[in-house]
Amino acid sequence: MYLPTPNRRRIALAMGLMGGLVAAGAADAQAPRRNLNNGADVTLALTNPSSPGRPAPKGAAPPNPDMHDLQGHWWTSEFKPLLGPALGVPAKLKPKYMAILEARIRNKNKGIPEADASTQCWPHGTPRVMESPYPIEIVETPGMITILMETQHNVRRIYMNVPHTKGLGESFLGESVGHWEGDTLVVDAIGMNTRTFIDDEGTSHSNKQHVIERIRKIEGGAKLQIVNTIDDPETLDEPFSYSTTYHWRPDVRDQEYICEENNRNTVVDGITTAK
Amino acid sequence: MKPSIAFAAAAAASLIVASAASAQDPAHPNIAGVWTLTAPVAAARTIDGKVPPLLPAARAVYEKHLAQAKAGDRSFDGVSDCLPLGMPYIQLIDKPIQILQKPHTIYFLYQENRLPRRAYIDQQHPDDLDTSYLGDSVAKWEGDTLVVDTTTMNDLTVLDASGLPHSDQLHVVERFRLVGGQLENRITITDLKTYSAPWTTVARYRKLPADYHMLEEVCRAQSLQAAPTGK
Repeated sequence: MYLPTPNRRRIALAMGLMGGLVAAGAADAQAPRRNLNNGADVTLALTNPSSPGRPAPKGAAPPNPDMHDLQGHWWTSEFKPLLGPALGVPAKLKPKYMAILEARIRNKNKGIPEADASTQCWPHGTPRVMESPYPIEIVETPGMITILMETQHNVRRIYMNVPHTKGLGESFLGESVGHWEGDTLVVDAIGMNTRTFIDDEGTSHSNKQHVIERIRKIEGGAKLQIVNTIDDPETLDEPFSYSTTYHWRPDVRDQEYICEENNRNTVVDGITTAK
Repeated sequence: MKPSIAFAAAAAASLIVASAASAQDPAHPNIAGVWTLTAPVAAARTIDGKVPPLLPAARAVYEKHLAQAKAGDRSFDGVSDCLPLGMPYIQLIDKPIQILQKPHTIYFLYQENRLPRRAYIDQQHPDDLDTSYLGDSVAKWEGDTLVVDTTTMNDLTVLDASGLPHSDQLHVVERFRLVGGQLENRITITDLKTYSAPWTTVARYRKLPADYHMLEEVCRAQSLQAAPTGK
């Protein structure tokens, strides 16, 4: 129906990566494959991590060294389909939830992935939304830090120096409150509904999930690092932590990302094809 | 960390950290905050209350939309597919709009399916853009008035809830200013393939309390976050 503009190709690729739809792609088959828990069961093959974001091109504005000014555009250099205490290592899930994860991975490897937030144009939940392989923009205003995500036009608001709202209604992204500890922005998120997975492979969480992010600039502001700690007394035997870094990308100009339009079409090798 | 501990730490930290980064835009009137229409806009009308000057073919389309809406068919406005409403329709619906104000950009963050729109201050429209639902917005301050110029919209949307049509020639200029505590938006529509002359309509917004938190709306999940109970 519509010509695949560069914008739409970017969308299609994002959906493929975030939805695990390219898991069985030809390029992927040549790369070393890990299985869940590094076992021999190939039906538990994990999708490979990728590196979507690049550093800013030469001539772009230099990074801002002010540690308390996180503003501007950032693009993650890491895309991790499985989030756990180390790359390719799953969270210490309670047996019931490990069985659910295994079932989702097996279904993905059969080419029938379980429908998740990506394919339904829902927000990806916190913290998965921060794993988006497309750019984000941070804006600081009095009392609030806002993160605008190109992916699925998500907006995350971090309310500064306030407690969590009483009687908070559940949502996909939950509620985030933050404060500075030295040069680190510490963000505490609760209130996420159970309609999302923690990651692309399908790690479950409950509505008791509690996420703490420690966000700081590194390398003089050339990169942003987020160290996440996830606790969930319902699904996890113990909390786990992982980190994600983002490149400073002052050259990025925001694009309109309309999942609701795009997902009328199919995705083949990252290119949109009209049904 | 328990939230209560985090809060105690936050309170301590806030005493020693004054963030210059969060300053918004001291040189101009403060239009930041969460705003909502003073009254729903069933149909955009000119300042003197008239139907906009539709060309004959466009009038026929509009009359078709009016008839469809009367029959309960809103397929003309994209809402049933969760598509963006376009401009200026998204500014004319009865849902909160959060404005973030920085010297370089004004951010319009809509409750409507969480859509954002950025207006880049003192910039030109790029000349190589694809069309999009909300178009490309650039802005400048003229005294106390923020003038936002939007182009490059696709022709898949309508202008308002009543189904006023437009073409891909649509050009929207909004003039925002504070009037007696309300935010006034004088919207001028130029689309000579659809209307015989430019025309202007006015929307007014009231400010929600400073502690109002935007609620998460997800059209495809048919969900709107419940307002907090305060308990």
